[in-house]
This record gives sequence, C-alpha cells and structure tokens, in this order.
Amino acid sequence: MATNQGVNRPPLEGVAPGELRSEEMILNMGPQHPSTHGVLRLVLTLEGETVVDCTPVIGYLHRGIEKILENRTVMAGIRYMDNADYLSPMLNETAYVGAVEQLMGIEPPRRAQYIRLITNELQRIASHLVAIGTYLLDLGAFTPILWTFRDREGILSLFEALGGSRFNVNYMRVGGVLHDFPRGWLQQCEAWCNQFEKNLQELETLITGNEIFEARTQGVGYVDPQQAIAYGLTGPMLRASGVNWDLRVNRPYMAYREVKVNPQVRQEGDCYARYRVRMQEMAESLRLVRVAMDQLPGGPISTRTPIALRPPRGETYFAIESSKGELGIYFISDGSEYPWRAKIRGPSFVNLQILPELLRGHKMSDVVAILGSLDIVLGEVDR
Amino acid sequence: MSGGVVLAEVWWEQLLHGILSWEFLQFVVAFLSIFGFVLTSAVILILAERKVMAWMQDRYGPLHTGPWGMLQTVADVGKLLLKEDIHAGKIDKAVFILAPSVFLAPVIASFAVLPFSPYISLPGGVLATGIVYLIAMSSLDVVGVVMAGWGSNNKYALIGGLRSAAQMISYELPLVLSLIGIVMLTSVLHDSGLGTIAIKDIMNLQMAQSWPGKGSPVWDFIFEGFTPWAWFILVQPLLLLIYYTCGLAETNRSPFDLPEAESELVAGYLTEYSGMRWALFYLGEYGNMTIVSAITAMLFLGGWSGPGVAFLTAPGMAIGWQVLGNLLALFYFILKVYLLCGVFIWVRTTLPRLRADQLMQFAWLILIPTTLVNIVLTGALYLVLNALGASNLVFLVVLGVVNWLMLFGFFWVVSRATTASTRRAVAPAIRARQRLAALAAAPAAPQLPEPERASVTGAGAGSSR
Repeated sequence: MATNQGVNRPPLEGVAPGELRSEEMILNMGPQHPSTHGVLRLVLTLEGETVVDCTPVIGYLHRGIEKILENRTVMAGIRYMDNADYLSPMLNETAYVGAVEQLMGIEPPRRAQYIRLITNELQRIASHLVAIGTYLLDLGAFTPILWTFRDREGILSLFEALGGSRFNVNYMRVGGVLHDFPRGWLQQCEAWCNQFEKNLQELETLITGNEIFEARTQGVGYVDPQQAIAYGLTGPMLRASGVNWDLRVNRPYMAYREVKVNPQVRQEGDCYARYRVRMQEMAESLRLVRVAMDQLPGGPISTRTPIALRPPRGETYFAIESSKGELGIYFISDGSEYPWRAKIRGPSFVNLQILPELLRGHKMSDVVAILGSLDIVLGEVDR
Repeated sequence: MSGGVVLAEVWWEQLLHGILSWEFLQFVVAFLSIFGFVLTSAVILILAERKVMAWMQDRYGPLHTGPWGMLQTVADVGKLLLKEDIHAGKIDKAVFILAPSVFLAPVIASFAVLPFSPYISLPGGVLATGIVYLIAMSSLDVVGVVMAGWGSNNKYALIGGLRSAAQMISYELPLVLSLIGIVMLTSVLHDSGLGTIAIKDIMNLQMAQSWPGKGSPVWDFIFEGFTPWAWFILVQPLLLLIYYTCGLAETNRSPFDLPEAESELVAGYLTEYSGMRWALFYLGEYGNMTIVSAITAMLFLGGWSGPGVAFLTAPGMAIGWQVLGNLLALFYFILKVYLLCGVFIWVRTTLPRLRADQLMQFAWLILIPTTLVNIVLTGALYLVLNALGASNLVFLVVLGVVNWLMLFGFFWVVSRATTASTRRAVAPAIRARQRLAALAAAPAAPQLPEPERASVTGAGAGSSR
C-alpha cells in the first residue's frame, strides 16, 4: 500500500541485487473520487499508466428500492422510482406505471400519453445534458457543465410547475398523470425549446470541433456491435456501436405509436460516437417535444382507477427507452395493493458490466473518458 | 567601504555593519516588496480567474464577501492561514514539509531579475544573464512537485508528481529553444554585435531608435518608446505561441494540468496538502503564471512601453514627470501581464485536458522540431541576406513574413498530426464503417423482426395460478 515502504522490503525473488524490478500497482479509484459519478469504486491494476485490469465494486448507494416498492402500495411506490435513476425520474415513473397499467389492462387517455411523451423527452434531454456536462468535466473542460446545467435548470422549472417538485416530481399516476398542464405551461415550454435550440448549437460549437476533445475520445473505448449485443448494452451505448435498436421505435409504447422517432445511430462505437449520439438525441427529443405539443389532443388526463389499486394476480415485464437504455420493470402482483415483486432492469447496471473489458490496455487518463461515456447513474446501478 | 577597514573590525562589528548597510536594507526591501507583489498578484489573479470564468460560464462568481465579492480571496487566505496543519501518517515528513517552500522559493526568486519600469527594478534587474537565470529558476519548480508527490505517500500524489516531472522536463526544452530565436535576433540588432540575454536590453531593442522623432510633442509623446511595429511578436509570432504554450505546460495550467487533473488524480501531488501548505503551492502556481506572462510581455510585447513612458522619463524632464512616467510604465507592464494571464484563464475555460502520452507527443514530435527548424531558419536567413548585403530591416521583414507563414504552417501541422494520430486510434471504427458500407451495398440489409407487443402473462381473472 504505502509507496515508501518498498525500501524496507526483503529482496524480491528472482531479481538480482541492484537490478530494477517494476511491478503492477493497485489503485483504488473511489468510492470517494471526483469522477466516478457518485460512489462507484474501481480497483485498477496499473502497469505504469496503463490499465491492466479493473474491477468495479458497486453497492455503495444501495437503498433497497426494490424492497421498498414491495412495502408500499402501488400508488405510493411511484415516488420511490424517482430515486432509482435520479437524473431521469419522469422516465422511471413512466416505466413503473406502465408496468402496472399493462398488468391491469388499462390504456391511459391519449392526452395523458402525450403529456407523458413530452415530459419523458424533456427528461431525456435533461439527463443527456448532465451526461455531456459531466463527461466534459471529466475530460477537464470546465465550461460545458455550467452551460448544460443552465439549460437543465429550465427543464426542472417546467417540472416544478407541473408536479410541484423539481427533482422527485412524482407526476405519473396509474392510468394517467397527476395534473393537466397549468396555464401558460406550454408557452413556457415553447420558449424554453427555442432557447435550448440556440444553446445546443452553442454547445456543439464549443465541444464538437475541439481537437483535444476529439483526440481524447475518438478511438477510445471501442465497442463493436457484436460485443455490444453480447453484453446486453442498450440506449446510446448500443446505438453508438451501430446497432439500430430503440424501444421507442422497435417496441413503441404509449404515444410513441403515433409520434415517430428517428433513432440516432452512429457507427464508430467509441466515446466520441457515444457523445455524438447523445447530442443528436437531444436535438431529436427537442423535435419530438415540439411535434407532441403541436399534436396534443384534448380530453381527460387520466382514466378512473380505484383508490385502492389492486393489480390482478400475475406478472408482466414492461420496458421503456430511458435516457440510458432499456429501463424495464418486471412486476409480479399477488392481487393485493402491494406489489409482490418489482424488479428494475436498470440500463446503467447492465451498461456498466462492459467497463473492465473496455478499460484493459487503455491509459489511466482514459479510465475517466470511458467511464464518463457510459453515462451511469449509481442510483440506478445500486438501486 | 574599503577592504582594509573591514578587516580591521571584529566579527560582530562586521556583522552589524553588514546588517545595517545600505545594500542589505535594499535587499530586504526588495525581497519584501517582491514577496508582497507575488502574494497580491496571486490573490488578484485568483479573484480575476473566478470572476472571468464566471462571466464566461454564465454565472456570477463570488458575490457576497465585500462589494461584488472582491474580498473573497482575502477571506480565503485568512481561512487558509488559520486552518489546522494536517498531514497523513507514514509520510516522509521532511520532504512533505519542505516541498511547498521548494516550489514557491524559485518563483519568488525569479522575480528578482524582472524590471518593472525604467527605474523600478531590483538589484538583480541589471543581471546580464536574465533569461538563463529565469529558465534555471523555472526548472527548479519541478523539484518541489516531485518532492510533494513522493513525500505524500499517496498513489495519486505519486502519479501526479511523476507526470509533472515528465511534463515539466519535456516542455522545458521547447521553452528554451523558443527563447533562443529571440536571443538570435538580439545578436543582429544589438550594438555590440554579440547579442544579449539581459531582459531589459532585449526589451530596449524593441523600442529604441524605432521612432525617429517628428519634433511634434503630441506624436512624440505617444510614439516615443512606444513602437508596436518593432515588437518581436511581429517578427517571431510562432515563438510567442510556442513559448506561451510551453508556459501553460510549465505552470500546470489547463489544458496541460495533468499533474493535478482533478477528474483522474483527485488533486495530483496536492492531494494530501491542506491549509497554508496547499496555499503555498497555489501561490507558486499563480506566481509562475505571472512570471510566464511577464516574460512574454517583456520579450515579445515591448515590456512597459506605452504612450508617454519614454517621453516623460527622458533625461532632462522634471522629477515629477519622471515619477509619473515610471508609474505609467508600471501600469502598462502590469496591464500587459494581466491581459496575458487573462489568456491563461480563457484557455482554461475553453479546452479539455490532454492525455499524458498526447502531451509528450506534442512536446517531442511537434514543438521541439518546430523550434529547432525555426532556429536554423533564422540563422540561415541572416547568413543569406547578410551575404547579399541586405540591411537589418530587410532581414527583420523577411524573417517576419517567413515566421508568420510558419505560424499558419504550424497550425496545419498540428491539425494534421491530430488527424493522423486519431486515425490510428479509430482504426477499428473505420473498419466497422467499411463493413457497414459493404452491408449497404448488399441488397436489403436484414431487418430485425418486429415482434409482438410484450404481452401480459396471466393478467386478469381466470389466469393460471
């Protein structure tokens, strides 16, 4: 452990006296580390600056969300889904209520579906903004994170107007949503969209052409398509490797059956491609928000559901395209008000599994470049 | 005081006379004022950095301590002075404790040869070997960093310290080589025909005799001693760029801030430091920034030259005008230094960080060859033009044109090198793209089958238990 203690060590076997012998160093990165995006711990084996091996150690943020869900009624559990992937609560809630609705055979009204689409896409933008901001911060650029957080602030204000809370919005309900849009919300959202379009362009100008950024990310952390499928990667990770798979297109749910999504795919498979996919997805989400606002139907925002919600006995799996990939809920009900089991298939957790494979052979500086490009949220990994 | 008198005194009388002597007093005052200047400059720079970065990043920066947060760094320094002195166990105590001083001392020492205005400078300001002294001092910094990295008994600190050693030593070379181009210029321009490495002389070469004097007081006031067309930035812009880039690396500033890369190495060699020891490293770093900017201003931007300085400090002016002229010179000089520091800050807000191997490649494969080529080219041009009987002016103009062309050539080379090294890195991706192109050429790429919508299993009444 101690670097200075080598002096007192007994002579190493097989090394002639006076001969220099180098050995691998084990470096404990995290859980208290600026760029492990929370409390991930990486046990790195270093040969000089080159990473020989890496073992991710997870579980430092385990709060037992799946167990909590079993001990809350279905309605009360929605709020706890916010904390799984805390950067995209709207998407988590949608997945949870979607699973319950699928089990109960409820189809939410069209307006509710559109409201879900708008909030989901805004949430996707917010999540990607954090992903890109923190990624650039990992690479040593200080400005992007502040710009992206400025734009994310607008989304959080919109959510505050909608659900009364900025972060843990608790907005989705089984069978619909909590409130309709308050007066003026759509205008505010439109104004935000117009502003964000400019800001996104500005962000592109700052980052995309930068030679240092390209040198740091291009060709780093290459995932080929077969590998990506074999590891079960989803979301931007998968699409950056050239696999055209987006649940909004391939398994359309809710309003995505009516609003068509252009999946953003890139072929390079490296960190740069993952960054580009996220940037393109933000532009695409912005387009979707605008389309959905134009097509927004009238009508009720929620079906009538019993106060004591008892999903019928049975089990189901419902997955949505979260900002990080396939967010699935495997829901088992025993017919009571409480879920018997609610298993979360977190995309962060699955995407993290490829990390050791990607890190091997790269330099130590690339560790953060690759880890940042995975865009994991430890809240979802550990749950 | 003649030697004979000194010998006649006993040792304590000698000591007393030595301490009470004019030279010693001068030295003490000089040291204190330089120390004060470094500290104040660091405090101002830190505040300026926070404010300028905030302004570039759409936020306010410090607001609450003093008017517009002006006293924030003052409060910070107070806090740091009062903090508990913490060090981890099992450290190499002597090395750990000495490291901040070893880092800071050369920075302060290098201010000794900096002249601030025509009359304000330290006793060392007349040192004939100014540039060599400065380079020597800036090379000493790395010792402090390596000591900090080794003494901390922390892996992050060790990696940071070693990275820093590699980086500072590598960038020392192009830094020196880029200054050699300037020294070569002085050997052409200087009266002695031998050239000079004294900073003040090099600066004077950029303003003396470049303004013929029109006799009109207004024009003379403005342009006497203020001759931007004679500044070396016009003759050797490439060297300015390279020197400044190396300066960024020397001072561990972004994009070369690998030794203390926050996202990788926590805080690099600073990881185990806190309180005033940490602050000493910071002072050293910002002092270094000031030094690099000051040398750039001196060697490339005419030092303190500005409208009115030479006019007011000309021999024969009244003492009041002389004082005013000196203050003006001080103002211009510090303005230039801080503007250059502003570029440091600007670069920091814009660029991400390089990787260690890319950093080394940039120094060894691009910067050093470029500076070497520049030295050879400067010499060759002079020899050719001199043989043809051209005047110094023709030489300077030709050299300037060539150097500006080289500047754009340098940009081209850097972008080509980046592309080439990146292409090697993205080879698998290129192969993937080719595969995709082959796929697109093939008729009807296989589409993933559209499955049924995920169906509910066992939903509703009457389902299987």
